[in-house]
Amino acid sequence: MKSTGQTICVIILLVGGLIVFQQKFIEHRKSLLNTSPISYFVPSKVTGLVSLDFKGIVSDFLFLKLSTLLGDKIIKNEKFKQNQADFIYQAADIITDLDPWFWDAYLMADMVLAWDFKKIDLANKLLLKAKKYRTWDFKVPYYLGFNYFYFLKDNDNGAKYLMEASKLPGSPTYLPALATRLSAYQNNYGPAIVFLTELLKNTRSANSIRPLEKRLKTLMILENLEKQVDRFETLNKRFPADLHDLVKHGLIDKIPDDPYGGEFILLQNHRVFTTSKMIDK
Amino acid sequence: MILKMFSLMKLTFKEGARERAIFGIGLFALLMMGASFIIVNFFMRDLHKVAVDINLSAIGLAGLLLTFFVSINLLSKDIDKHTIYCVLSKPFSRSQYIWGKYLGIMLIISAAFLILTVCSSINILLIKSQYAVWFQRFSWMEFYKAVYASLVMFFLLNAIVIFYSTITTSSFLTLLFSISTYIAGQTIEEVVIFLKTSSADEMALSGGVQKLIGIAQYILPNLSVFDLKVQASHAVIVSNYYMMGITLYSAFYSAILICSATLIFKKRELM
Repeated sequence: MKSTGQTICVIILLVGGLIVFQQKFIEHRKSLLNTSPISYFVPSKVTGLVSLDFKGIVSDFLFLKLSTLLGDKIIKNEKFKQNQADFIYQAADIITDLDPWFWDAYLMADMVLAWDFKKIDLANKLLLKAKKYRTWDFKVPYYLGFNYFYFLKDNDNGAKYLMEASKLPGSPTYLPALATRLSAYQNNYGPAIVFLTELLKNTRSANSIRPLEKRLKTLMILENLEKQVDRFETLNKRFPADLHDLVKHGLIDKIPDDPYGGEFILLQNHRVFTTSKMIDK
Repeated sequence: MILKMFSLMKLTFKEGARERAIFGIGLFALLMMGASFIIVNFFMRDLHKVAVDINLSAIGLAGLLLTFFVSINLLSKDIDKHTIYCVLSKPFSRSQYIWGKYLGIMLIISAAFLILTVCSSINILLIKSQYAVWFQRFSWMEFYKAVYASLVMFFLLNAIVIFYSTITTSSFLTLLFSISTYIAGQTIEEVVIFLKTSSADEMALSGGVQKLIGIAQYILPNLSVFDLKVQASHAVIVSNYYMMGITLYSAFYSAILICSATLIFKKRELM
């Protein structure tokens, strides 16, 4: 009985010691990870083989790893380095080699590559791969169409993919009309607002919603400012010299704050722009 | 003859069901399935895919553990511990013994699969009821097809285990050979496909190695044909023709292995 009590005391002491040790050790581990981040992916030729018949679950794990790496940067407001675009593309390519139908992986890579890196060619390459497998999914040509319209200013391909999307089951009824409308305001922020609104409806993770909402808010401000510039021109038969003219003429109360910390400016071609380029300052 | 085989099958099933490892394996699979309830929350849209991936992997992993740690014991232990004499002293032929053992192992695997499939169905149903919007592209039929394909793969893998049990002298060697064959069977298709790509030319594999791989693809069972987990997780329809094909593939291969095993076992000196 006495020895049992002693053993229990020793166990309690060891557990206490372990808790104290773990707290100290976690700090060491974090500093080790900071100096040597685990930001690599083994090529799919190897990953595919070693996954045996567990490719699906391995692709889930790798996607979690990628989203943790990206999410960490987004939460810490860290800027992406340009060379990270290739890493993100390769990681998404490996994940989708293991599971070629994995939409979360395609979409996350598309969003980051297109919006943060402006690497539309890489984003489209992944979407074209998705299109080969997700033949039923209207979202694939839908995002391809958007990339062509908004980023590449390629109306022909944009309309082509949107029309393709409109023919697939479950596509929004407004798509054919949107394809036509989008070509009308190619030089406008409208398409981006429509697409981001749609994307937000289909996003449930709080970490993903926050940056999308921020981007949407900025685009809505930009769109409104451009509308006011046009109104100014209609009323005064001339374009404003800068955005302060809109305030002086009572079209807006004040120049809005850029959610990304930049400054809204009026360009010589009468378009409104933000110095932040929608990247956190 | 068939009655004798069935009585051996029943005996093997009872013996297997008494193995404590089965309960540990079952608990592990159930915990893994339960974990999917939490893990799906880390994903944005493909919740159905993750739930199916984890549940099917749990069933597959349990099948592997049963094969490598329970099935191997059921035959090799008989030989290792000389309990086989008790059976063979009865009016059973050696081939009846092998077939009876194989059928008994098939019954154990089938029973385990049935229980795990019911549990995973309940688990998926619960996740589905909570996140119905994210389960629009989910098909029970494709899910059960993947479970069936996995089961058929284990019938073949257990035939391989029985075959190795008859040619080796220890359960450890049987385990080693069976695991190697499983890994090779799962990867051979990808290796052969890779060898046909242009990047393989850059590796400059010797002609001998290429020939060896070429021969291996005909000898080794292609176990990757039974892996329909990724298709099931996206409700990609697999034709009934394909399902019939893998069933026959497994049946033919298993029959060849078990018949060969009986031939070897008949000649084997058990002293």
